[in-house]
Amino acid sequence: MKNRLPKFLHGIRGKLIVIFVLIKVVPLLLLAWFAWYTAQGLGDAVSQKAADMADTSLQTIQEIGKTVTADSIKALDERSREAIETLTTDAARNIARFLYARDADILQAADSDLSEAAFRRFLAQRKRTLYRHGPWRLAPDTKSWEPVESVTQETKLTRPILPDNARDFHLRPPEYLGEPEVTPLFVEMTYVDLAGNEKIKVTQGDLTDRTLRNVSERRNTFVRAETYFAELKKLKPGEIYVSDVIGAYVRTDLIGPYIPERLEKIGLPFAPEKAAYAGTENPVGKRFRGIVRWATPVVRNGQITGYVTLALDHDHIRQFTDRLMPTAERYTPIIDAIKGNYAFIWDHKSRSISHPRDYMIVGYDPETGHPVTPWLDTELYAEWQASGKPSHEFLADVPPFRDQRLTRKPAPEQIKAGTLGLDCRYLNFSPQCDGWNALTEHGGSGSFVIFFSGLWKLTTAAAIPYYTGQYGKTPQGFGFVTIGANVDDFHKAATDTAEKINTLVGEKDRQFKAQRSDLLDGIEQSLTTTAIGLWGSTVAMVVVVIFIAIWMANLLTARITSMIDGIRAFRDGDLRRRLDDSARDEMGELAHSFNAMADSVEESFKRLEEAREKAEQASRAKSAFLATVSHELRTPLNGILGFADLLRSDLQSPEHLEYAKIIHQSGEHLLTLVSEILDLAKIEAGEMQFQQNEVPLHGFLENTLAVHRSSAEAKGLAISLHLAADLPDYLQTDATRLRQIINNLLSNAIKFTQQGSVVLGARDEKEWIAIYVRDTGPGIAREDQEVIFEKFKQLENFLTREHGGTGLGLALVRQLVTHMDGQVSVESEPGRGATFTVLMPKKAKDE
Amino acid sequence: MSEHLALIVDDHPTNRLIATTLLRKMGWQTHEADNGDSALELAARHDFRLVLLDISMPGLSGEKTCERLRQQYVGRDIRIIAYTAHAFPEERARFLAVGFDDILVKPINREQLQAMAQIS
Repeated sequence: MKNRLPKFLHGIRGKLIVIFVLIKVVPLLLLAWFAWYTAQGLGDAVSQKAADMADTSLQTIQEIGKTVTADSIKALDERSREAIETLTTDAARNIARFLYARDADILQAADSDLSEAAFRRFLAQRKRTLYRHGPWRLAPDTKSWEPVESVTQETKLTRPILPDNARDFHLRPPEYLGEPEVTPLFVEMTYVDLAGNEKIKVTQGDLTDRTLRNVSERRNTFVRAETYFAELKKLKPGEIYVSDVIGAYVRTDLIGPYIPERLEKIGLPFAPEKAAYAGTENPVGKRFRGIVRWATPVVRNGQITGYVTLALDHDHIRQFTDRLMPTAERYTPIIDAIKGNYAFIWDHKSRSISHPRDYMIVGYDPETGHPVTPWLDTELYAEWQASGKPSHEFLADVPPFRDQRLTRKPAPEQIKAGTLGLDCRYLNFSPQCDGWNALTEHGGSGSFVIFFSGLWKLTTAAAIPYYTGQYGKTPQGFGFVTIGANVDDFHKAATDTAEKINTLVGEKDRQFKAQRSDLLDGIEQSLTTTAIGLWGSTVAMVVVVIFIAIWMANLLTARITSMIDGIRAFRDGDLRRRLDDSARDEMGELAHSFNAMADSVEESFKRLEEAREKAEQASRAKSAFLATVSHELRTPLNGILGFADLLRSDLQSPEHLEYAKIIHQSGEHLLTLVSEILDLAKIEAGEMQFQQNEVPLHGFLENTLAVHRSSAEAKGLAISLHLAADLPDYLQTDATRLRQIINNLLSNAIKFTQQGSVVLGARDEKEWIAIYVRDTGPGIAREDQEVIFEKFKQLENFLTREHGGTGLGLALVRQLVTHMDGQVSVESEPGRGATFTVLMPKKAKDE
Repeated sequence: MSEHLALIVDDHPTNRLIATTLLRKMGWQTHEADNGDSALELAARHDFRLVLLDISMPGLSGEKTCERLRQQYVGRDIRIIAYTAHAFPEERARFLAVGFDDILVKPINREQLQAMAQIS
């Protein structure tokens, strides 16, 4: 486990650094991570919120824009509707007022003189301005018509606008309705007798026949269509008859702009003058000319003597709607059907009596006096064709406003025929007819919006409150005025505003997106900055912490290290070394304790050293003493033995020779005694030094034995060497001392054995080499076997003397063997010899 | 003539006499000195082949004398034998280290001397 740690962790310094780093760096990293996580979360949340806010703001703006647009459209639509409805009701009321004025005329006429002159005066007094557009011509590109002279009215402002009035000061030029033309109201004034004969007839213009006729017959009436005489007879004095609008139908070659290329397309000659007038589409066409006839009985002397009639020029009625424009233009000198902003008048039978396209005004066939077939849808047209009846008869049985809807298609045959009079009752592909009647049949007015001819149109209708004669039958009165207007035009301002708002919203959208992306970028950048700052400072702090950790570890371990150095130095023998224990902390305490211990150790060492020195001194003195004793004893022995020896060789007398021999032997004995005493003393003094030699056992034992051979043989003893076969070649021991041991044993054996043999042997005995000396001497009693190894103990003192023993040999042997880590023992029985065995260890003991 | 010249150095006259007697019996011509300095003087004047040199002497010790003799007799055939009563093995080792060829421990042993001082 310990070994798995990196090496630098083995030291306390490394561990301290790691602990510091773990304690400081991990929380630091955690904190930094937490801060970063939070900042990121915050950033994300802010980004999300900001994006949401931007989106919401944008959405709000878009919704406000939409609402404002929708509201303004609605407001504008409503205002336009109001304005147009007002325009419609105003026009209807004006028409009614005008018609009522004609009632007054007819009543006046009834009271006038019944003479042509009076009639002429009467008519001359009744005139009204009609506005005509000037001459128009085909444009040079022949694709449209254009006025020969265009008239533009200019706004004139000749005085400064007062500041109080400056706000929304709005000036319009004089309204240009066209070229004014004073026109007689009536085209004809007649006096008809009770039989229907025209008695007086004054005409103006060339519309009506100047000749006097009997009007009881239809063929004598205007376009052979008038049937008023029958009605006249029913009139009581003061009662008024008012006819329908009656005029010859004017047909067209086509619907829409009457220009050469379109006629060419349908294969008809370009003859605009012969085709029906149609405002800007055909400003030179043939106009519908009609009349409305007023009549009332002429009463003279209480008797109805006849009837006066006045034929109103239909143009005067048209005037009320022909110049109206439900647009900012308000009035126009020429009607423009294409634009779809124009007014119509419909009579009490819902027949068109005023239309920008004259061919759409219902009229009569002057040849038959019957109404020209109005425009039918394909279905009704087919039914009519199938009926085989004249249209007026057929239509008389058809329910009006039958299933009108936009999905019906107009009859193409009639377009080709160019008979396109609009009789709302049968105009079944135009459901607005039904709508208008719904609005006006009870005398009311109103509007609805319909998608017609590709345009969303507001269409208004107002009953014309004129109830004289036949017009009094229904609340619808004379009929109704309708005005059609393009809805889109009403709220053009609003749609313009909406467009502006959309542009603004788009711009804002871009701005918001840019701001949002700026904001997100900002947040991102801020996060990046935060991250850099956070992690940068974290890393910096980590580095600082690591440095501090290393510094602190060094600081702490420096003391420990210096302590360890001090302790090591102390251990290595610098006993005077002490630690710095000045610090007042645990380390100081430790150092202090160590110092105290060191003091006592040093003291002990000092005492020990002193004791040792004393001992050494004593030992040295003992050694010197022993050496000196040895030297001083040997020096005289040199003289004694030396001269005894010389005497032995020089003396001739056997007696003297014996003396010399004894001297020599005594000297030898003394020498041995001295040597053994000194050896023992040395051993006991601990001064004996043992060598370690590689001893070749075989040769060594042979040589050792050889020294004793002569003395053994001199006594007649057999001496032999018994070496075991498994005896090792070498033994690690002190050769000199081993020889001394064996010599002692062999000397003893030879000394004490009178006859027989002495054997020196050796064998392997486990951890020991057993070396033994066996003799056939007298043996040693069991109780004496231990005693013989003690100093100066010999079994028999006489033997000592006899055998020249010192009594120290075996004691020395035991001492030597013991000091050489061996053992010595004896086996013996008295009378049976003895075996001394020395066990020497094979391996020298560790030092 | 000088081939059998031996020098016995010992402060004890008895010791010198025994050695001289034994060596002469072996055929050596002997000179004697009772201290190291005299020995060195004699050695300078004669060409000794054998020196029996006592260790414990007043004045120059046997060891010192041995070292000087070795210096005087560089390259020459000479046997220097310690002739001493210092018998302890550690002492013997010290003498051999100083330059002695052999050690003759007192009391003198005739056979030993004969073995050491054999005239070759």
